[in-house]
Amino acid sequence: MKKDLRILREQNRQKKNHTFWKICALIVDSLGQKTIAFFITVHEIWILFLSSMRSIFSIWFFRRQFVEQLYSFSVKTIPITTVLSIFLGLGALVQGIYQSNPFVPRVYTVNVVFKSLVIELCPIILSLVLAGKLGASLAAEIGSMKISDQIDALKTLSLDPVGFLVLPRLLAGFIMLPIITIFANFIAILSVFFASSVVSGWISPLEFLRGIQLDFRVFELILGSLIKPSLFGILIAFMGCYFGLKTVGGAKGVGKASTNAVVISAILIVIVDYYLGVLFL
Amino acid sequence: MIEVRKLCKSFNGKKVLNKIDLEIRENEIFTILGPSGHGKTVLIKLLVRLLEPDSGSISYDGQDISSLSKREFNEMYKKIAFIFQSNALFDYLDVKDNLSLYKKLHTKLSEKMIMDEVLEAIHFVGLGQDILNKFPEELSEGMKKRVAIARAVIKLPSYIFYDEPTLGLDQGNIVKVIELIRSLKKDVSLTSIVVTHNIHLMFEISDRVALLKDREIVFVGDKDNISNVMLQNLYEKGEDYEL
Repeated sequence: MKKDLRILREQNRQKKNHTFWKICALIVDSLGQKTIAFFITVHEIWILFLSSMRSIFSIWFFRRQFVEQLYSFSVKTIPITTVLSIFLGLGALVQGIYQSNPFVPRVYTVNVVFKSLVIELCPIILSLVLAGKLGASLAAEIGSMKISDQIDALKTLSLDPVGFLVLPRLLAGFIMLPIITIFANFIAILSVFFASSVVSGWISPLEFLRGIQLDFRVFELILGSLIKPSLFGILIAFMGCYFGLKTVGGAKGVGKASTNAVVISAILIVIVDYYLGVLFL
Repeated sequence: MIEVRKLCKSFNGKKVLNKIDLEIRENEIFTILGPSGHGKTVLIKLLVRLLEPDSGSISYDGQDISSLSKREFNEMYKKIAFIFQSNALFDYLDVKDNLSLYKKLHTKLSEKMIMDEVLEAIHFVGLGQDILNKFPEELSEGMKKRVAIARAVIKLPSYIFYDEPTLGLDQGNIVKVIELIRSLKKDVSLTSIVVTHNIHLMFEISDRVALLKDREIVFVGDKDNISNVMLQNLYEKGEDYEL
């Protein structure tokens, strides 16, 4: 009887051991698959990027699509950009005033608000919002085309889908994001000026101007208004196109592509923003 | 002439087509008939290189297309038109732009000349010019199919491929599509390759037929040589077919 129990215990122990190793193997297997999938994705993104760069000389051929994309990256985003910039400016001003010691001269508060808006807040918040708006719509548009054979139809019409779909969007993102960001900066500063000088009289217009001029560096303006937004623009457009072209299945696939485009471009924007700061400031 | 030799294709290790041999002659209507899910669409997509084969060769007029670069095959696409099962009309373009896109991007014709060709194509498929400013979503399935055929015809191709051209159409539209396929052979001397599971369509339009079953071609020849027994064998497991 005792011997039987011992054998049973031993068998149970072996079974538990076996299950443990099975779970370990499953975890390793799943991690391995995810790692491989990650590197395949990186490879595909790189290939798509190279293909778009190769077709850059054919942009004249796709000029109509390019102009259409310039329009959707600019005019269609003006309302959202305007509202966002006004309240970004006001929010930054409220924080600036609240965080400042009463003994700190107000020109310094204006200076901090101005710099944080131009270098960080406007480019990154605007890009994150536009990643939601444009990235999702690009992925959904191209994804729907993919599942309804429209991408294949382009090929049979002797049109390169990368040149026709990806390149115009990529260039539009690269060109229009800086322009929209400059517009957003202007609106944000204007709203700060109106709130702090004209409406509340917290600071005089002359002092406000001095606050902006204080420690003014052109390079910071270039970084916040040109370098960052142009890279973010490429990221938004590229991720939208990539996940759109990778769409499989039906409506569910399109939804997944849109979500992936937004999430991945948002993460990349924040990472790239950090490295640009480290590199340039 | 299109020659296919020992064509194989698999997806995720599962063989979809096995050693396909075909010969499609000039100016004939060649039908590939088979039950759904037996690789017909894969085969027709392989023929126009929308999919890449695992092995085997496809040649157009003696030229092996697997040896062509992407750019060279893009040129080759000018000789090929494809009517998709889903029609694949560009839904953000109206009918006029759907039809004129190819001419606008690949020719130096004036707007007026392109418009004339669009009108000719739309009349050829039996539609009125009132349809030109409509978007695909505003059209019926039959209209969409005919616009897709017009978009293909406007390219002036040598080969035209149809993937299930009558799928989802009512009887009236099926008759119109059959007439169009026939007139494209008679009037424009096109070589047509039709993939279908519709036995009636096969008998109506074909010059020669290939029967595709379980990943392989089980018969190639004149439609008159197809017996009832062969058709019964083709659809033996009660697979879907239309008469």
